[in-house]
Amino acid sequence: MSKIQEAVVELRHAPGVRGAAVVTNDGLVAASSLGSGLDPEVISGLSSYLMMTTNRSLAEGSYGGCSKLLVNATHGKAVFVQFDQSYLVVLFDQFAEISEADCQVDEAVVRIRRASRLA
Amino acid sequence: MHLIQRMKIWKQLRRLEQRAKEQPSPSTFVDLGQVYINLDLHDKAERMADDGLALFPKSIELRQLLDCARRGLRHRRAGELRAKLTRSPSSKLFHELASIHLELGDSNALHATCQEWSLRFPDDSGSWLMLGQARLTNFYRDLAAREGQEAVQCLERAARMDPDSTRSRRLLGEVLYRIGAVNEAQKHIQTLRELDPADQEIEHLLSHVATLPDSGSDLNALLAEVESHGSLLHPTLQTVAPAQAADRSITDVRAGLARIAELHGVNRAVFIRGSKAMVKGDIRDGRDPFLRIVRVTAKAAHRFARRLDIGSAAKTVIEGDFGWICICVYGDALAAVQCLESANVEWVLGELQEIVAGALHAAEG
Repeated sequence: MSKIQEAVVELRHAPGVRGAAVVTNDGLVAASSLGSGLDPEVISGLSSYLMMTTNRSLAEGSYGGCSKLLVNATHGKAVFVQFDQSYLVVLFDQFAEISEADCQVDEAVVRIRRASRLA
Repeated sequence: MHLIQRMKIWKQLRRLEQRAKEQPSPSTFVDLGQVYINLDLHDKAERMADDGLALFPKSIELRQLLDCARRGLRHRRAGELRAKLTRSPSSKLFHELASIHLELGDSNALHATCQEWSLRFPDDSGSWLMLGQARLTNFYRDLAAREGQEAVQCLERAARMDPDSTRSRRLLGEVLYRIGAVNEAQKHIQTLRELDPADQEIEHLLSHVATLPDSGSDLNALLAEVESHGSLLHPTLQTVAPAQAADRSITDVRAGLARIAELHGVNRAVFIRGSKAMVKGDIRDGRDPFLRIVRVTAKAAHRFARRLDIGSAAKTVIEGDFGWICICVYGDALAAVQCLESANVEWVLGELQEIVAGALHAAEG
């Protein structure tokens, strides 16, 4: 198992996390650990649509890039953390407090960044 | 339908589903919805129309698709209810079936159902209330005196049979004051107040009716007058209230934006509804990129959440070198701010939620 996959699998055990994945900017799944009912292809497609749309509108407005994006929906939550060529997607259930998993997300981000650099 | 035909349709369906995902537009959703309807999958067509309307809320074709899907679902439910009523008739089933006919605007089926309902359950006032509602709908649509008379008779009968029912009295009170029988209407509304003293709406209705001049109690003459003039004499409470509510809503939003713009670290704030935007802070004009970023991201987040089946994206936060952009959306109302990292994001989101919820509440009221 790669270091990135390890970090994602560990993150999956954080409270309220339904799934986590590392998706490349062009929409390929580099690593994933998702709960039942979550399809990695669907997650990567939707995530890259959201990140691309947001980044494009920010760039058009000369705002620079988006480093982190949080979506709080009626039945679930999602956090996206941008890396150089990819981003981490973490999906939470509706009752989860994202702030409670902040430490685990930050830790995973550091591990993925380190592993990406080494790679 | 033989197997090959069926396979062809399923193949076309897959292609349309793929197209709706990749190139969403009102026509792709409508095409797919129509195939679902042809396959008798009205529930799927309804979901498709809902999804489409979430992205294109102003599309008339999608509204028509939704209406068509719902009608199909109601027809199916009516069939089920008819079968159940044949086996074991009950007042509740008659009520549901009559309600469906009323929603479908199928007068003949409604009359037949109500006739059978009142024969089987003569003490139940529900059939008369339902008939009264149907007649009243026709009266408000055509302003035909005959329909008005029938409506009043049915509603009076329902009110006599069940004196504690508020629904029949409310409808009766409303039609009476609207045609000019204000004193007669007041009697029914007073009874309503006695039945439910805590209902604020009845209080408002009573005060509204008290301001209107009475034109007598000869209902036939008043109804004939309405028919010949082609208009009702007095407006409803709802038509008088929205203008006041809208003014109040704008004032509340403006005050909310001013409050939020004063929070520590907040640079700019915006409230958007439809094509109109109200701004506070450092925003040049309607083409300011901040407005576009907020709109585009909110729409993308909404689509992401819907497709992922996690409901509607109510709050979205973007973090970058520019600081934070916080967006809060409910229905068609959106409020957003751009703030520095030092701002309290939770607090800002709470304030945005207040603005949006307040605006929606005023609009619904």
